[in-house]
Amino acid sequence: MKHQQYETWILLGTELDLEQHRELQVHLKQCSQCQSLYQATHQIAHLFKTSPVPEPSPGFSTRCMTRIEKVETRKSQFILGMTLSVISLATLLLLSSVGLQIRAGMAQFPQLMLEMITLVAKWIVFLNQLSHIVSPLIRVSLKLISPIWLITLGFSLSGITIAWMIPFFKSRTIQRELHS
Amino acid sequence: MCNTEQQWIAAAKTGDKDAFAKLVEKYQRPVYSVCYRMLGTPTAAEDAAQEAFIRAYQALDQYDISRSFATWVLSIASNYSIDQLRKKKVTILSMDNEKHAWLAPPDPGPSPEKAALQREKLGQIQSLLTDLNEVDRAAIILQYWHDYSYEEIADTLDLSSSAVKSRLFRARRLMAEKWQKMQLPSTAPVNSTAKRIAHETSTI
Repeated sequence: MKHQQYETWILLGTELDLEQHRELQVHLKQCSQCQSLYQATHQIAHLFKTSPVPEPSPGFSTRCMTRIEKVETRKSQFILGMTLSVISLATLLLLSSVGLQIRAGMAQFPQLMLEMITLVAKWIVFLNQLSHIVSPLIRVSLKLISPIWLITLGFSLSGITIAWMIPFFKSRTIQRELHS
Repeated sequence: MCNTEQQWIAAAKTGDKDAFAKLVEKYQRPVYSVCYRMLGTPTAAEDAAQEAFIRAYQALDQYDISRSFATWVLSIASNYSIDQLRKKKVTILSMDNEKHAWLAPPDPGPSPEKAALQREKLGQIQSLLTDLNEVDRAAIILQYWHDYSYEEIADTLDLSSSAVKSRLFRARRLMAEKWQKMQLPSTAPVNSTAKRIAHETSTI
């Protein structure tokens, strides 16, 4: 048999039958290269098996769970921030379109852009601050307030919003009629 | 996998953090051990092990309950460690004794001689692992310390069984060559462990 086959047996730790084992032992007596390879692999295996198992320092699971908690909080804050950003952007677009309609022809375009940018920056700062206040409030309120109260609150807020929007749109209609 | 563990996993999947904490408690040692062998320092190992558990928590929905949780989480830890090594974000495998600080616990554990011997052994091991590439190293770690079969290693590292065999063959050859060099007389002061192991194995 070729020398390479014995090397493969040694390096892969192949399970050998009795005949193969005897054959390998005969070869090892004749080949110093294979013998030192055989010894080295056995010594390494022994070193690995007898080495101490590394253990994490005490309190690992607590630290790990704290980190998971932090990651989760950051994730929920990010989602809330993104939602608020989208809503605020939509609101800004709406407001700016209304503003553009009203101020068409009156203000110069660069000045208007500057004002818009300032407005956007202020909104972003405001919403960022708001998210810091609102997110824990929401978390706490979801745990404290029962779903019935939350639904009631939602309906109330919707009612107030509608009640506010109806006269707003009515006044816009009157304004248009007056202009025409 | 025992019923209790399945219950923990099921509960953790619904967002029960206490149940997941129990899984962390149970698997912290093997996960940390893989990360430590891969990255070589307690700090990097702690960070990688925590990251592995975070990733496991976030991917619990994708976890197939028919598969072993240990294999799954070790796969995450191994692959994360491989990525870290590839990014070269960690300075790996130092033989500095300070970096094996976990071997000297505050309680009266191993005697100073035993602790010193353990540190020396660890130094030898990390030195042997240093020359291996990341995937070969992971394969060696999983085989020697976790008794994984070729198929399990292939499954964990997303390789074919034949690729695992050839990687282990190459890795063992490299380690054997390095071990032989470490036993040369010119490097004798560093290699007292190597000699001791040689003596121990010759008597077995």
